Amino acid sequence: MSFTHLNVSSAYSFHFGTAKPDELAKAASALGFEALAITDLNGLYGAVKHIGSCLKQNIAPIVGVRLNVQHKGNVTILARGHNNGIGWAALCRIISAAQKKSKKEVSISQKDLAALMKTDNKANCTILLGPDSDFGQATILANATVAAQKLLEWQKLLPYKSALAVEIVSHLTEPGTNYSTMQAKRMLQLAKTIGITPVITNAVRYLEPDDALTGDVLDAARHLEALGLFDPQPNAQAWLKPASLMEKLALEITESKTLALELISNTEVLAKQLRLDPVSDCGWSKPKTPEKSALGIEGNPFEVLWQKAHTGINWRYPNQSEDKLLPIRHRLHQELITINKLGFATYFLTVADVAQMIRDMRIRTAARGSGAGSMVNYLLGISSVDPIEHELLFERFLSTERSSLPDIDIDVESARRHEIYRAIFKRYGGNRVTLLSMQSTYRGRGAVRDGGLALGFEPDQIDEIAKSIWRFSARDFRGMLGKKPELRALAAQLDTDRRLNLLVDVTERLDRLPRHISMHPCGVILGNEQLLSHTPVEPSGLGLPMSQFDKDDMDPMGMLKLDILGVRMQSSMAYAIREIERVSKKSIDLDSIARDDAETFKQIRTTNTLGVFQIESPGQRELTGKHQPTEFNDLTIQISLFRPGPMKGNMISPYLDGRHGIIKPDFIHPDLEPILKSTHGVVIFHEQLLKILNVMTGCSLAKADELRRSLEKDRKFVEKFFKENATKRGYSRVVVDRIWSVLDGFGSFGFCKAHGAAFALPTYQSAWLKTHYPTEFLAGLFTHDPGMYPKRLLLAEARRLGVKILGVDVNRSKDEYLVEKTHDGLAIRMALTDLYGISGAEISRIIENAPYKDLADFYLRANPARSTAKNLALIGALDQLGSNSQDHTRGDVLERVRQLSALKSRPKLTKDQPMLDFDLIDLMPKGNPEFTKELQLESEMDLLGMDVTDHQLAKYQPMLDQMGVVRASELVGLRSKTDVLVAGVRVATQSPPMRSGKRVVFITLDDGTGCSDATFFDQAQERSSHVLFNTKLMLVSGKTRRTGVKGVSVMAENAWDLNQLWQQYLKENLVAVEN
Amino acid sequence: MSADTHTLIIRTLVRIIRALWGKQMIRVDESIQVATNQAGEPVGFSWRNGSYQVITKPVRWFSRRNWWDESARAQRGIGAGVLELEMWRLSASKQNSSPAQFELIHTEATNSWQLLRIFG
Repeated sequence: MSFTHLNVSSAYSFHFGTAKPDELAKAASALGFEALAITDLNGLYGAVKHIGSCLKQNIAPIVGVRLNVQHKGNVTILARGHNNGIGWAALCRIISAAQKKSKKEVSISQKDLAALMKTDNKANCTILLGPDSDFGQATILANATVAAQKLLEWQKLLPYKSALAVEIVSHLTEPGTNYSTMQAKRMLQLAKTIGITPVITNAVRYLEPDDALTGDVLDAARHLEALGLFDPQPNAQAWLKPASLMEKLALEITESKTLALELISNTEVLAKQLRLDPVSDCGWSKPKTPEKSALGIEGNPFEVLWQKAHTGINWRYPNQSEDKLLPIRHRLHQELITINKLGFATYFLTVADVAQMIRDMRIRTAARGSGAGSMVNYLLGISSVDPIEHELLFERFLSTERSSLPDIDIDVESARRHEIYRAIFKRYGGNRVTLLSMQSTYRGRGAVRDGGLALGFEPDQIDEIAKSIWRFSARDFRGMLGKKPELRALAAQLDTDRRLNLLVDVTERLDRLPRHISMHPCGVILGNEQLLSHTPVEPSGLGLPMSQFDKDDMDPMGMLKLDILGVRMQSSMAYAIREIERVSKKSIDLDSIARDDAETFKQIRTTNTLGVFQIESPGQRELTGKHQPTEFNDLTIQISLFRPGPMKGNMISPYLDGRHGIIKPDFIHPDLEPILKSTHGVVIFHEQLLKILNVMTGCSLAKADELRRSLEKDRKFVEKFFKENATKRGYSRVVVDRIWSVLDGFGSFGFCKAHGAAFALPTYQSAWLKTHYPTEFLAGLFTHDPGMYPKRLLLAEARRLGVKILGVDVNRSKDEYLVEKTHDGLAIRMALTDLYGISGAEISRIIENAPYKDLADFYLRANPARSTAKNLALIGALDQLGSNSQDHTRGDVLERVRQLSALKSRPKLTKDQPMLDFDLIDLMPKGNPEFTKELQLESEMDLLGMDVTDHQLAKYQPMLDQMGVVRASELVGLRSKTDVLVAGVRVATQSPPMRSGKRVVFITLDDGTGCSDATFFDQAQERSSHVLFNTKLMLVSGKTRRTGVKGVSVMAENAWDLNQLWQQYLKENLVAVEN
Repeated sequence: MSADTHTLIIRTLVRIIRALWGKQMIRVDESIQVATNQAGEPVGFSWRNGSYQVITKPVRWFSRRNWWDESARAQRGIGAGVLELEMWRLSASKQNSSPAQFELIHTEATNSWQLLRIFG
């Protein structure tokens, strides 16, 4: 006899279920079940994955939710199927209604639930009243009359056929307790008496009995308490039992073979009504794009797209001759044909509409990813790189070989991202838009933390262990214990510490389980008017509703997801342009500047690329030194090369050797020369691979991309296809074999050129701004902090470039780094925002009430906290407020602030008598010493984290000169293998994984003239181990190593703490003076 | 409080509790030999030189143990035995004596039985 489980919590019942939907569906199919339900707590977080897994296993999906009904306990609500989605829609709306109230208390009132469950006086869902419902509880805690009343109440509220079923469960717990056979018997009896269908489930929360231990640990994580401090689950019975055991259970409950069969068959009858048809019920794979009316278009969407794209030609290619336009039109028509075949016209119109809206808001945007390979995207203004000029392929982005909606990612100014989200909600309406969610899963450290909590470890001890879990999956924690040196100490303790041993086991159990849901950092779902009937939503941290589906659910649900990613560099550039316009009254259209500016490339080639998008890291700077880019395409290549794939594929050296003429490129066959010429014979890009396959096998580019995608999984198939077809087309065996070895080696290592080119644009734009408007550009960097380095390095860079920095001044500073005109040109005024301990409210008060005539005035009207006032004085932000500031030292200012702070209460401002009492004591102290340069620097470092007035290294200069320390800027003039000493402030430490597996440490030091990069191999690491990771100011000895025309790094031999040397130096010099 | 009053209070409490439960509970915790039928249900057992016959249908249920206090390991696949206990509640009587309720633990892995408690 067949059976279906109707109450199954997956791992997406966070901190409750232990099995993922695919595991459950697979097991169900293996057990011979024809259908399986998923009923997660409070949502459909795992529902789409469940349906997908069921389709794969060829069983029927059933979907429901476990929800709290206010004052009525927890019930299971299941969507009824094969009703054109009425059940699914009701389920979505019921969940959204329950989620509306607050994140902490998800629940729905019985009345609201009843109202949503009714369509045309029929029930669209079925509620299971189980042991956790008010009825079920009453059978344990109260008498039969009370329990019967509860059941009658439900029946009265939902008098429709199949709206209710009583859920009989026995977890074989102690007689008389919840989930006991005794309770099941009572519930069954009352269901029969009152006339509500009883069904049997196992209220499943794990796949196998063994998973109950994982369940215990999850319970502890949910309770936020150690095991033993709360009531644990009663036993390990809540697993996905096979039909035979469910029949046995039914027999035990009913004590009659007939009645047991009846109970099972009731369940099966209901299960059949609940089976969902993914397509007609859930809109599986059916694209749900906004309606024409929402996009403001009329007529056939494809015709509108055709029109818009053609209009775009005049915009993107003004005044072009007809023969130049011919290939453009040809390309456009090919793309449009594909788009039409796939029926994606509305999708492109939607994305274009959003892109236009963002531009209308005057927010900078750029496309990212393979979408930049589309001419349609270029003509619609979605992307800004010309795919023909940059040899990008549409097929890498979209082809008739795949039918999923393509990803178009849009980068925007990070500071205005939420503004865009709100505008999208407004433009398309809250019924068509929701944010995307994402599920975080347990990884090593989180798993150790929650495992430790469950076992009652002290937080300190857990922290210690968590720190040692680094770059390996906690799933094989035990296996790693013997292998990783950092785990040796832990491994030794296991023999004697039982609890620690358990911790390793439970950590392995938790790893990879879903942990919680949060807002996706950039995804927005854009749908039609029925969107909220297709996905349940809940409040996000942003206040806007968020779908319970994640990015993997989008494609199966036919939902259109836009990735609108906040990029700080875009904010920085927008800021720079705004400052140029404000201060110099020049308006600049960054997207239309020529992309071959010689000055810009000259500046890039110096390797002083700090602050430039994508190429500012030490590694990229070194590569810039070797590569010496001269045109836009070089930037595309360089960005693409410095990626894990091409680096692992060892593409960099052969490319550089070819570029610098050290080796002559080998194109293997003349047919490949046009494809590989620009990369000197090295296959770097996916696009090149596609073209090679296309030329040599005659397959279409679309087919070629499919082959590329299967290269990793099904290498043999691709090899056979390539060799057969290339041979057929007359290529010699030698050529075919050699090229196959290249393609085979390429594997998954290449990079999508469209992606590289899309990135190269902001790279070029930021380099251009840095070259021509360094002051404004740096102001943007200071304000939006897009890079990887500390702000103090930007200061060093400003000094190096001769950009003037003006200190914080309460009369002039704002919450942004503004460009100020001074008598000798432009300068950057530091903002108030970087002062240690200052609050947002203090900043706005200071700005609103400025200017101030003196210290008392400032103290009264800006009303800063005492510590803030003192800190401002220490960094000199109040220097201008000493009356006749020339006569007063910073010491005087500080003293005055102390006086003011000492007053017990600040006089309140009144309109009639402004600060009369206060003025009386406004006597500026005199004669306090001026701050020494050292004290100034120290205050700046302490309170701003930046050395404003001078470089931190300046004070050591006498010693450094005496030792003959070389400045970073001088390195480039030295021969290779020169013995050198370099010194500086550590700005970056990197230890990338190496092909050899050995650890190499790269340390970047800044000495005010630029950055020097030191490389530490094994021996040097050992010699300098005490300073390698912690010391801020360092001296490094080593040999120069030339890596390119402008590239020099230091092969370190040893390193010291500069401060220690300094103390010694002072001591010795004192002795010298005394002698 | 004198020792006598103390004893008195405790005795009264015990009497009240017994009255509420209506029976007396004795904890035993001893290994025993059990005879089962085909369905695996106990039909009789011997304990302290006495032979007991099960007189009603026994009830099986599952309890749990605190593995975090007892077990050395908890790795994936160790099995629910670390967590779960198979319990039997049954009425049984010795020849010519009134029946009492017994609670037994069955360990399936070793097919061994333990008499946990008696309710008199």
